[in-house]
Amino acid sequence: MLKALTFISLREWQAHKFRMALTIVGITLGVSVYFAIRTANTTLLDSLKLTVEKLAGKATLQVTAGESGFPEQLLDIVRATPGVENAEPVIEVVARPALEGAGNLLILGIDAADDQKLREYQFDPSQTVIGNPLDYISKTNSIMITQSFADRHGLKIGDNLPLYTNQGKQEFEVLGIFKPSGIGEVFGGQIAVMDIYAAQYVFNRGNNFDRIDVKTDPNTTAETVQQRLRERLPAGIEVIRPVNRGKNIENAVATMSQGFLLTSLIALLVAVFIVFNAFSIAVNQRWKEIGILRALGVERSRVERMFLGEAALIGAIGSFVGVGVGFVLAVGANKIMSGIAATTYGVLPTPGPPIFRVDYGFEALVLGVGASLAGSWLPARSASHLDPALALHNIESRHKDVILKLAKLPVGMAVVAAGLALIAFTAPRVGVVFQLGYAGLILLGLVLMLPKLAELMGYLLRPVMDRVFGSEGVLAVDSMIRAPLRTTAVVGALMIGLGFVFATGAFIHSQKRVVVRSINSELTSDIYVAATDLTRSRTYHFSEELGQRIAAVPGVKSIENLRLTFVPYGGDNVALIAIEMDGWFARVRDIVEEGDEARARELMPMGEGFLISLNFSTRWNVRVGDNLQLETPMGTLSRPVLGVIEDYTSEKGTVLVDRQLYKTYWQDNAVDFFDVNLEPGVDQEAVKSDIQRALAGNHRAFVYTNGEYKRWIISVVDQFFTLNYTQMAVAIFVAAIGIINTLIISVTERRREIGIIRAIGGLRRQVRNMVLLEAVAIAIVGIVTAVIKGVCDTYFLVNTASAVLAGYTIPFYFPGWLILQTTPLVIIIGLVAAWWPARNAVNLNVIEVLGAE
Amino acid sequence: MESEKARSLVRLEHVSRSYGSGKVVHALRDVSLDVEAGQRAAIMGPSGSGKTTLLNLICGLDTATSGVVKIDGVDLSSLDDDIRTRLRREKIGMIFQTFNLLLTLSALENVSLPLRLQGTSRREAESRGQSMLERVGLIDRASHRPDELSGGERQRVAIGRALIFSPPLLLADEPTGNLDSTTGEEILELLDSLHREYNMTIILVTHNMMAAAHCDRVLTLRDGAIFDDKPGRMTTGGGRAC
Repeated sequence: MLKALTFISLREWQAHKFRMALTIVGITLGVSVYFAIRTANTTLLDSLKLTVEKLAGKATLQVTAGESGFPEQLLDIVRATPGVENAEPVIEVVARPALEGAGNLLILGIDAADDQKLREYQFDPSQTVIGNPLDYISKTNSIMITQSFADRHGLKIGDNLPLYTNQGKQEFEVLGIFKPSGIGEVFGGQIAVMDIYAAQYVFNRGNNFDRIDVKTDPNTTAETVQQRLRERLPAGIEVIRPVNRGKNIENAVATMSQGFLLTSLIALLVAVFIVFNAFSIAVNQRWKEIGILRALGVERSRVERMFLGEAALIGAIGSFVGVGVGFVLAVGANKIMSGIAATTYGVLPTPGPPIFRVDYGFEALVLGVGASLAGSWLPARSASHLDPALALHNIESRHKDVILKLAKLPVGMAVVAAGLALIAFTAPRVGVVFQLGYAGLILLGLVLMLPKLAELMGYLLRPVMDRVFGSEGVLAVDSMIRAPLRTTAVVGALMIGLGFVFATGAFIHSQKRVVVRSINSELTSDIYVAATDLTRSRTYHFSEELGQRIAAVPGVKSIENLRLTFVPYGGDNVALIAIEMDGWFARVRDIVEEGDEARARELMPMGEGFLISLNFSTRWNVRVGDNLQLETPMGTLSRPVLGVIEDYTSEKGTVLVDRQLYKTYWQDNAVDFFDVNLEPGVDQEAVKSDIQRALAGNHRAFVYTNGEYKRWIISVVDQFFTLNYTQMAVAIFVAAIGIINTLIISVTERRREIGIIRAIGGLRRQVRNMVLLEAVAIAIVGIVTAVIKGVCDTYFLVNTASAVLAGYTIPFYFPGWLILQTTPLVIIIGLVAAWWPARNAVNLNVIEVLGAE
Repeated sequence: MESEKARSLVRLEHVSRSYGSGKVVHALRDVSLDVEAGQRAAIMGPSGSGKTTLLNLICGLDTATSGVVKIDGVDLSSLDDDIRTRLRREKIGMIFQTFNLLLTLSALENVSLPLRLQGTSRREAESRGQSMLERVGLIDRASHRPDELSGGERQRVAIGRALIFSPPLLLADEPTGNLDSTTGEEILELLDSLHREYNMTIILVTHNMMAAAHCDRVLTLRDGAIFDDKPGRMTTGGGRAC
């Protein structure tokens, strides 16, 4: 019997190829985004892992102290630790060559004499005239570059490579060129090597190292040596496995891929509605066939399985196509993800070509088939419950919507209310799965409410459409109201896609508003001089001497030296801002949100306490008056929290400390920003030009006026949200595909209805207008439901998601501007989607259509 | 030349209709026919004899390959699609074997649909629709959808829709074909009653001798041509119509 049913199914879909193709496209879209992101993510992480391995060489452990480095005396302790076979110091700097389009270069400062025990440096003998160049690298002005970098910039042995250093712009003689293998292929060749002591000098590291790479004795486990080193080294020094070094970038990539996976989930949810629409229509059209099958003795369960089998097949075909398309998309996704991460982190490994993973293909298949089965379940169930006697009776005996016999509107409202209540009243740390469940409840409730909501909105729209478009408008709305299944499918697709767009837009806007509020209260200097054009420079810093030169520029009243670094706290890294607190407090007003500002103003410049950000307080549960302990290269630093301020430097939280206290405990006098305050009445632009002239040619510095700097920060925040904007664009695309797909299927399947209207005197123009106006009505209802969903989701994001991800809640914002911008776009998409079927509708052969019935 | 007593409402002059370009199928061959106003004509014949094609040509859904089709003196081929459609809406009522009601609309909405398409306000359309439903005996089923009605009730709705403009011509394509004999007879009696009331011309395509017996003229088609044209058992103006 199963074979016979399969035969019937195949014949049916063969007769409706177009509907099947559109349904498959729906599945393909979601699956392809999923597979592309999974593949791109893995490709990027694999290349990152490979890069870390190549950089680490044979090292099994690495000694670090966050980003501030540590005194070089620690090298002796490490080397003297039992189980350590080799220990080599490293300075690691991301520097900018003074060459057009050269990008950033990762500079490794190494001890050439011994580092070859850890890493292999391969040179092309034809490119060197001095044997092994490493033997000669201790010359302070020499450097080794990779073959690819040399080729890109036309450099050869003996040429000079200009680099911006902390000592100004300096020329380095190219002493050797690596072969494009091993370390020579790291970061696409954007890597160079120089002597460690030369690096210490030109990059202002003093007597500090950034890292010690350790090769352990083969007879001792790395864990044992790690433990011994931890016992011997000061508390602020970390001993980690090299693989952990890529964690920050891995986390960033993971966040991005999670975002895109969410988008693919949205696409799959839209696909569920597309499948639902296609199968509802199929069941409606095949009522007689179902009746015959039931009359011939096919059980209900087999009828249901027949439809579910069709859905599984369609899901499988869509998934296979989706995997293929996704593999192609993975190349582009790889570039986008690398690009976004590179913007934040300076240099990134160049990802190789995507690698096809069978397990991801299987996951995609499960998702695609699952979405298809989910979408077809209700129509299949409805088909199996069809009354065969009624179905065989005559043509108008189509089944009614008898699925889920419950009062969907009140139940849906109750479910939505429950989801919102859980968001409002449960603790932020109840668990991600539970919290996602809140969003799931809201979605479920809204889906239950959809048919009734669409009907109610249709009744509201009817008089408006009557007034504006006359009888055709009313007939269009009536058609929408009287076909709740068809309407629900299109509206549902729109609700999912657009709801996501509205919520994301509102979330971005809310985030930006708090950031703007924060920078307006914190950034009160007239001019800012930054060491980087990125959000921060991990390795390249200014010296205080440079600050003195800026302070000497006419018109400058005072400067503060600001160091922005990250320090370990609670198993994570939090931002640490060190600045001269007396100067800072002199120019900010009402900055302390919690705590006694007067007391903070008095004690902070004396190094007698910390200020912490609101998200630090929430995330780490630290309050004003608590004693906060930070591990430093000089031991544990313990001070009371004097106040909480609004600062969004890091999602992990920020600690502010007086600069002198920082210098004492971290042994670091580097500067990342000079906050420059001018004499009253002095022209900012003129002083900015003077500072630029003072630094020109020697120091890589970025000089901004107050307004420029704030605008730059806003643009950086925007850049941070690039991922979200991309997600929004994908969601709009998905929603558009959803509405186009479902409308085309719906209108194509209404041929008989349109034929009847033409037969009883409906003009071609009227038929076309009715189809188009119904699309407009559905688009409007879709937008309204999307707004409802978007508002609920925004509430979820600003409360639950924000608290979990960033440790703070942000104000709720209604995305009115986005809705206004999106509405005409969606209506246009609806009209475009309906245009082709409307044309078909007016040109259809009435006799054929009616005769076919 | 039209007689003084009864003018010709439907006139076909040497009408042929063929389909296809390679192997041509001749559905109608050189058919000429006059149906007078108020007359009830049954068209009979075996399947494929051209009955439905003839009906489609008369209502303007189809166009003749050659020859002229005139409704109330107007040559349909001289009209553009919009005018032909309006003429069909207001001057020709149509009922079908399969009823062809819109499944998403109630009985009242189905009946008043042609008025809505004409631009009549919703209120007025529904008011007139209710009167028509009352006339066909379905006022108590006005809010029911087609799938909630019996076959006979559906055909009554279809008749109500066809007559909402009180058209001078009613075309019925096997109106009892999907109904049992009792219900079919009820529908034919309703048509008799409506004919007495409105005196419209009725052209009835049927296989059913009983249905044809309600008409005062019976035409038989065979192979696309009129094979026989004779008076029916009923006479015009008599007790029973079509």
